[in-house]
Amino acid sequence: MMKRFHKLFLTIAISSAFFVSCSNDDNDKQEPRGNYDGGLFIVNEGNFLTPNGSISYLSDDLQIENNVFSLVNPGKVTGDTPLSIGFNGDMAYIIVNGSNKIEVVNRYTFKSIATITSQVKNPRYIAFANGKGYITNWGDGNVATDDYVAVLDLTSNTITSTISVVEGPEKIIEDSGKLYVAHKGGFSQGNSLTVINAANNTVTTNFVVGDVPGSLAKDNGTLYILCNGRPSYAAPETPGKIVKVNLSTNTVTSTLNFSGVTHPDFLDLDNSKIYYTVGNSIFSAPVNTTTLPTTETFKATGVASLYGFAVKNDKVYVADASNYQDPGDIYIYSTAGTVLNKFGVSILPNGFYFNN
Amino acid sequence: MTLKRLFAFLFLLLCQIISAQNDSITKLKEVVVSDANLKKYSNSQSVQVLNDSIINKNQSSLTSLLNYNTVIYFKENGLGMTSGPSFRGTTASQTAVIWNGININSQFLGQTDFNTIGTRDFNSIAVKAGGGSVLYGSSAIGGSIHLNNDLQFKKAFSNHLFFSAGSYDTYSANYRTMVSSDKYSLQISFSRNSSENDFKYPGNTDQKNINGEYYNTSMNTTFGYKIDSNNTIKLYSQYYDSERHFSLTTPTASKTKYDDFNTRNLLEWENKFDRFTSKLKLAHIGESYKYFSDINSKLFTYGKVETSIIKYDLAFDVNDKIKLNSIVDYNRNKGYGSSINNVKRKIGTASLLLSHLVSDKWDYNASIRQEITDNYGNPFLFSLGTRYQFTDFYRIKLNASKNFRMPTYNDLFWEGSGNPDLRPETSYQGEIGNEFFTKNFTLSVTTYYNSIKDLLRWVPSQGGGDNWSPENTKKVRAYGAEVLLEWKTKIDSHNFTLNGTYAYTVSESKQLISGELVYKQLIYVPYHKLTGSVSYNWKKVSSYFQYLYNGDVYSTPFNNPATKVKNYNIGNIGADYDFGKKNSYKLGFQIFNIWNENYQPVISRQMPGTNYTLYINLNF
Repeated sequence: MMKRFHKLFLTIAISSAFFVSCSNDDNDKQEPRGNYDGGLFIVNEGNFLTPNGSISYLSDDLQIENNVFSLVNPGKVTGDTPLSIGFNGDMAYIIVNGSNKIEVVNRYTFKSIATITSQVKNPRYIAFANGKGYITNWGDGNVATDDYVAVLDLTSNTITSTISVVEGPEKIIEDSGKLYVAHKGGFSQGNSLTVINAANNTVTTNFVVGDVPGSLAKDNGTLYILCNGRPSYAAPETPGKIVKVNLSTNTVTSTLNFSGVTHPDFLDLDNSKIYYTVGNSIFSAPVNTTTLPTTETFKATGVASLYGFAVKNDKVYVADASNYQDPGDIYIYSTAGTVLNKFGVSILPNGFYFNN
Repeated sequence: MTLKRLFAFLFLLLCQIISAQNDSITKLKEVVVSDANLKKYSNSQSVQVLNDSIINKNQSSLTSLLNYNTVIYFKENGLGMTSGPSFRGTTASQTAVIWNGININSQFLGQTDFNTIGTRDFNSIAVKAGGGSVLYGSSAIGGSIHLNNDLQFKKAFSNHLFFSAGSYDTYSANYRTMVSSDKYSLQISFSRNSSENDFKYPGNTDQKNINGEYYNTSMNTTFGYKIDSNNTIKLYSQYYDSERHFSLTTPTASKTKYDDFNTRNLLEWENKFDRFTSKLKLAHIGESYKYFSDINSKLFTYGKVETSIIKYDLAFDVNDKIKLNSIVDYNRNKGYGSSINNVKRKIGTASLLLSHLVSDKWDYNASIRQEITDNYGNPFLFSLGTRYQFTDFYRIKLNASKNFRMPTYNDLFWEGSGNPDLRPETSYQGEIGNEFFTKNFTLSVTTYYNSIKDLLRWVPSQGGGDNWSPENTKKVRAYGAEVLLEWKTKIDSHNFTLNGTYAYTVSESKQLISGELVYKQLIYVPYHKLTGSVSYNWKKVSSYFQYLYNGDVYSTPFNNPATKVKNYNIGNIGADYDFGKKNSYKLGFQIFNIWNENYQPVISRQMPGTNYTLYINLNF
């Protein structure tokens, strides 16, 4: 274990040296750390209550491979509704919601390292701080008071403690030893942000940001929160908003309100721009914008149901859930909306995880 | 020319069946059936009757009985778990379950979970293929299942006791007592079924079925009293209570459970005067469920609907050959629950039915029904049918009908998501049945075409957000052929009976795939299903073999070949010996899934391998 750890550490040190000092062309000379070095993973939820979730991999040279977890680890299944992946060091942590487990794998080889099931109930997302993993959990979805953030010891791969939080902790992001948890609300509708101090694993503060905070992204000391707004089935229906929080003072600095009962779905940041989606429309604006754009940047043509979204290096990644039962597709667009690539993945692709 | 060729084709290839068992109902004059209209107005369609000897040979769930003996396909989510039918390629909510003439499909879901009906509480179970909405209302599109309790008016006292014990701590018990005279008739039965249901998955694996345990208890009472030669009072009552844990598809998933509690009560006053028979029926149907998302928690979500029905059925025999019925029916229900906020629905219907025996060889029937409700429009329905006997061994049947399925409570009233502006699903269908029969042999071949529009489906709302709500969406065209066969023979004291069913089913809807609309088979509808059984009786020994083949089914709307559910072949055998002299005291055993077939009727829903049951069946 220790030996491998050293070797990995060495590999990371060497490869980061390469990145710093070499141009892209020299990358070819670098020994890949595994079959899945670079590129990106796509999480496919599969059908709820059915263990047909899976992970797809798209390499830098645009080769798609589906169901990588089961292929690399024969006899193991990804499980019922994998929801997200978190990277830390050489590890990738696959959060499998329906199966109440976390699959720990090497992020470059995808070889299984451990499966964590104890004190995991309805897990959602993971972030890392202070040498620990922090996993949001809903507990029993019907119970509003049993939600928590589980603290994962990254060396023993066991949950060492839990931090009780208000209902429906969803996305989680780390900044300067603090964890920011958006309370989307679980089976209900939440509206707040919890800040956890990783030094003592206690809640520093919890404050209202807006109805149904669904996406988190940070840039330059600011946290961008996309609130979906309360849906029509949970009256009173409210429109979405983008809320900016100052990460050093933990206060809301500005809010961009959507009109009518518009419900934006996803948000990402890239090259000092905000990108967000409403239905199949993609919008963008500079991060410091004080008003929301009135026209879409482009429409994700060909997409039946936009179910996952990311922007990286001026490329827009969209996951299409199709009819929610057949295998979905992923689309890569230029920021002008030209389809650059399209790949068939598995059932219900929901997110992109860039492996570098 | 074309017509002629078509006719020849239909004649040669496509016929339909009549079941010989159909006639057994009327053999005993003193037996009063609960639903006389079933026989009276179904002559032009196929009705297959499963009597108590068939019921006793099968496992106690309605899923198991119908799966092994009829053309109906079942989407069973693991042994004993939720189970929905597909009859003639239709969806699970397009088969109506009729309890003593009353439609008992769930108001919440529009369908019946066939693993919440125990078969041993009934004297016979009839399977009517094709449309039946004029008589039976919503959901009778693919067909209807009739659960019947009969009353007999003759001096008698009998008891029936059945008990079985099988693999995975599975127990089934049924006790029935009947006492009757020419004035009154009383039948009371109790059933209890339970199982740990923790079978090891077949094949080379350590996996077990986790959290699959269930129990159910039911009590049935049927009472009849002849006040005088013209007036009879009948009472039917059933209570059903069950708890099922839902088995896990991954061992670490959260353990959940589901409770059902259903009550059914029907009071009927039959009055005969001259050529009229009037029946006044009052019924109360209660359905409720509780869902526990954590078996260790006391918290649950729930729903409850109570339905009151008043029905007046006036039959008028114009003469021996022309018979009329007019039926008015008023149905009021109210429901509430975790996501249904105190809602009510009122439905009125009026129907007129005619049956005319033109000659010994030719009869026809015609019927219409008008629904009146403020919830989903006012469908007008009809059914037209005829049969003609060409020779002493061949008969043809024709039937055409319009049928519907109303939107469910969930569709209309689910808080925030329900859509009050839904139309009912509507089906127009036609069928041609051919029956060949001799004394010991019947064969029926039926072909049908069914066009269903305004299918109700929950779809994601447009314009962002994660809201799903119901809409009238696509159309379905379903067509196919059914073959039913029965053959009995006796060689000395050796009795053989052979039964078989086969269904070929195409059920398609248009799917938009890469910008192109193409017809694709509905999910969980097999193209082929085959069942067969052979019984052999010799003196006090009786034995049987049962066979089921379900062809491949698609699990996705685009018919992804990679996620097809593989076809499976199941064989069961059983034998018993009767130790009784005057009474019948049978001791027997059964082996289910004799070839240890490793199969999943639904993706990831494993079924057990070979398993065993011992039983006693006492009649005294």
